[in-house]
Amino acid sequence: MDLLSNLALGFGVASSLANLAFCLIGVLLGTLIGVLPGIGATATIAMLLPITFQLEPVSSLIMLAGIYYGAQYGGSTTAILINMPGESSSAVTAIDGYQMARQGRAGTALATAAIGSFFAGTVATFLVAIFAPPLTAIALKFGAAEYFSLMVMGLVMSVALAHGSVLKALAMVVLGLLLGMVGTDVYTGAPRFTMGITQFADGLNFVAVAVGVFGIAEILRNLEDEHDREVMTKNISRLFPTRDEFRQMIAPVLRGTGIGSVLGILPGGGAILASFASYTVEKKLSKHPEEFGKGALAGVAGPESANNAGAQTSFIPLLTLGIPANPVMALMIGAMIIQGIVPGPNVVSEQPALFWGIVASMWIGNLMLVVLNLPLIGLWVKLLTVPYYILFPIIMAMCSIGVYSVNSNTYDLFAVAGFGLLGYVLSKLRCEPAPLLLGFVLGPLLEENLRRAMILSRGDPTTFVTRPISATLLVLSLAILVLVFLPQIRKRRDEVFTESDG
Amino acid sequence: MSTKPNDTTDIAAGLLFMAFAAFFGLQATGLEMGTSLRMGPGYFPAVLSAVLFLLGAVILFKALGRPDDEPFGRIAWRGILFILPAPIFFGLTVRGLGFVPALFITTLIASQASVRMRPLSALVLAIVVTIMSTLIFSYGLGLPFRRFGPWLPL
Amino acid sequence: MTSITRRILLGSALALGLAGTAAAEYPERQITLVIPFAAGGSTDVVGRIVAERMGRELGQQIVVQNVGGAGGSLGAQQVAQADADGYTILMGTVATHALNPLILTQKPYDPVADFAPVSLLVLVPNVLAVNPELPVNTVQELIDLAKEQPLAYASSGNGTPLHLSGELFKSMAGVDITHIPYKGSGPALTDVLGNQVPIIFDNLPSASGHIASGKLRALGVTTAERAASFPDIPTIAETLPGYETYTWNALFAPAGTPPEAIETLAAAAKATMADPAVVERMAEFSATIVASGPDELAAHVQAEMAKWEPVVKDANVSLD
Repeated sequence: MDLLSNLALGFGVASSLANLAFCLIGVLLGTLIGVLPGIGATATIAMLLPITFQLEPVSSLIMLAGIYYGAQYGGSTTAILINMPGESSSAVTAIDGYQMARQGRAGTALATAAIGSFFAGTVATFLVAIFAPPLTAIALKFGAAEYFSLMVMGLVMSVALAHGSVLKALAMVVLGLLLGMVGTDVYTGAPRFTMGITQFADGLNFVAVAVGVFGIAEILRNLEDEHDREVMTKNISRLFPTRDEFRQMIAPVLRGTGIGSVLGILPGGGAILASFASYTVEKKLSKHPEEFGKGALAGVAGPESANNAGAQTSFIPLLTLGIPANPVMALMIGAMIIQGIVPGPNVVSEQPALFWGIVASMWIGNLMLVVLNLPLIGLWVKLLTVPYYILFPIIMAMCSIGVYSVNSNTYDLFAVAGFGLLGYVLSKLRCEPAPLLLGFVLGPLLEENLRRAMILSRGDPTTFVTRPISATLLVLSLAILVLVFLPQIRKRRDEVFTESDG
Repeated sequence: MSTKPNDTTDIAAGLLFMAFAAFFGLQATGLEMGTSLRMGPGYFPAVLSAVLFLLGAVILFKALGRPDDEPFGRIAWRGILFILPAPIFFGLTVRGLGFVPALFITTLIASQASVRMRPLSALVLAIVVTIMSTLIFSYGLGLPFRRFGPWLPL
Repeated sequence: MTSITRRILLGSALALGLAGTAAAEYPERQITLVIPFAAGGSTDVVGRIVAERMGRELGQQIVVQNVGGAGGSLGAQQVAQADADGYTILMGTVATHALNPLILTQKPYDPVADFAPVSLLVLVPNVLAVNPELPVNTVQELIDLAKEQPLAYASSGNGTPLHLSGELFKSMAGVDITHIPYKGSGPALTDVLGNQVPIIFDNLPSASGHIASGKLRALGVTTAERAASFPDIPTIAETLPGYETYTWNALFAPAGTPPEAIETLAAAAKATMADPAVVERMAEFSATIVASGPDELAAHVQAEMAKWEPVVKDANVSLD
């Protein structure tokens, strides 16, 4: 078996003492970085690039990869504990994870996230090993029309992120889309909605918007009646899930892994959708959709698995084609070039030890993460017993550093304050931030691909339905829409909400 | 339950969305629309603004004559007053004052948002946060910040 | 934060403390190299390789700071406004010092007056490549095909050197090919590899892996001479005489930086680019080492601006 000998080669490389050490450093650093609010993997890897210059190529890539998925883990921790997602994927985890934490189930939420991520990471790593080349071929079939249809599907799904009024959720998505338009138009170079500020020429910074509408808004909400109530429940019942909760998480984890693995392969926005898509599916399949948004276990287990699976499979286009699926992958390419490795289809054949070493280290890294993080859960949960008035100034300091470190852009910090205020006002008006964030992320992709598809088809809009993949995606979107708005289901939804709101 | 006949929260939400739509819509009119074959930079935002305006209007319309089922609650004026300026202050001073003093004052400002924070504990907290962050970010991760900036006569 | 207050504060700081140490040997503390693009791109890679080696040469660490945004303008602007003490320098490119100043209607900085040139480090060739399914093998065949049927080409973005390389090609070949801009080379390459768009203008380094593996068919490099790393690829100039574009990287300091500091930096840059390890890296990267002095760089900037001005004007017309 080729695969076995390849994996043996990979594990041989990855389990050398030095590489194990670098993997450990990577995941530790990644976790630390991910946990600090506002600081993402992109900034960290950028900072560490010069150090990797000194290392062996395989060691440096193993370490950088470790930082990447370590940060994904850590980011979920912050999303659950203080409602502050550092990346678009953990925005979904924040919805139900934070509610669980407020109910004193932070330990369960964190353990679910860790276990789900580990399982998804393991499965996805093997997918990378077995299917990398054929999967890449599928990813290349996605052109502008397909991406547009995929984004449409993502937007339709976003309605499920709301647990209140569907109308308001839609309005939030559209507002998010509009905010995503801020910056230079890709096609003509015309500045849009930048109010003459060059610093916004590349658009609003995602971290600034996410930290503002989620984190700062939450801090303000917690500060509004400090006299009357404790912010966080202190009676934390259990750290680990019960047998029953384990049973509940199996199906969501499996589905999340599948969704994440598939979407992660698509460069240019697929992975972004993974956690949103998983959340939608879980909410639709759940017997208790009314629990979503109020601390549903499946709302953490599914998206977290999807997110981690997507993080692993997004290495496929990188390793087989040298194509970055996201900014972190672009940095990895930079790291490879610094090392004198030309990324591209030849890496697998010319550098088998490097390729399989990285694949094997992914699994080892995931194992390390779960081993490291399960005992840490107790510590993280203890963090919640720190009085809030001590915690939030620390959060503000970390956010300021983190947001500034991304691009050394002062205006990003102004954006944090602005979006903090906006997020607070919107939350007072009972509008939820998750759909806005999804719109913000998808907006530029949606427009870019729509316009590109129209140019490529020479203005023929039927391109979206004559291309089979695009047509399938649009039919699926339509099906989801029908499900959402079908009168009967609609009625049941309304009953559910009047019950829970009243 | 509120006795008001209208859902004021949703009215406000509808108006807010409509205001945003108007803002983006007006700005978009200044951009080239293009044709649907070759869309200009203003095309897509203009469509979105129209949709948002419509959604806002529907939310507003549906709120009329429906009771507000959740009171608006208190507003965190003190929080707004101290939390929001903290990152702004950091942004304005990190290059001039340098990382260490800028972060120290930022933490001090943010800590004033809570009525429970006493001056001494705020000071201690700010010192601890500054020292830890300087160790982690400046020395540990090697972020390219100047620790003390050119505004300080050092 | 107005720059005037900054200057006053800085002035007093200088008067108070630094004046006494002005005679001290430059450099006495770490130098910040601003790279005006996001980490991971080709300018970033060149910058990091150079920063590491040049720091050893100077005996002071050179810290790389990525200030991406607005096609490089933000980073360049930041260095233009930085203290002219030799401790903040810029990794300038054809974009920051020739194209952006010509393209932008609001000019955030003056590429000549606001900077003190240090050294032109490398020239990086661009390449015209097609998906192998496009039935053309030479530049001439591509031109013929473009005259028969509508075609499209991908580039890393509007107003980038690659876009303008494409526009220059169109105007010199007398053909019309639709420009499809992307956000960076990566997504553009993806769509060409997947044959969503048949043609691409890209930096040779980022496309080289795909050319070597046959997933892309290179028709021509954009430099006047063939690239050392790919001697088999003809130049576009062999078909369209006079066609020449390339991306370049050069070090700039803010205007007013003491000449001694500039000289020290230029000498260190020269030594760095002569280091065999750096030479090898640059060769893998298909970059041609120049390592010029300050005066040559100043002349180079003038020449580049003169060359691109008509192309930019033309392209703007055709974009509307």
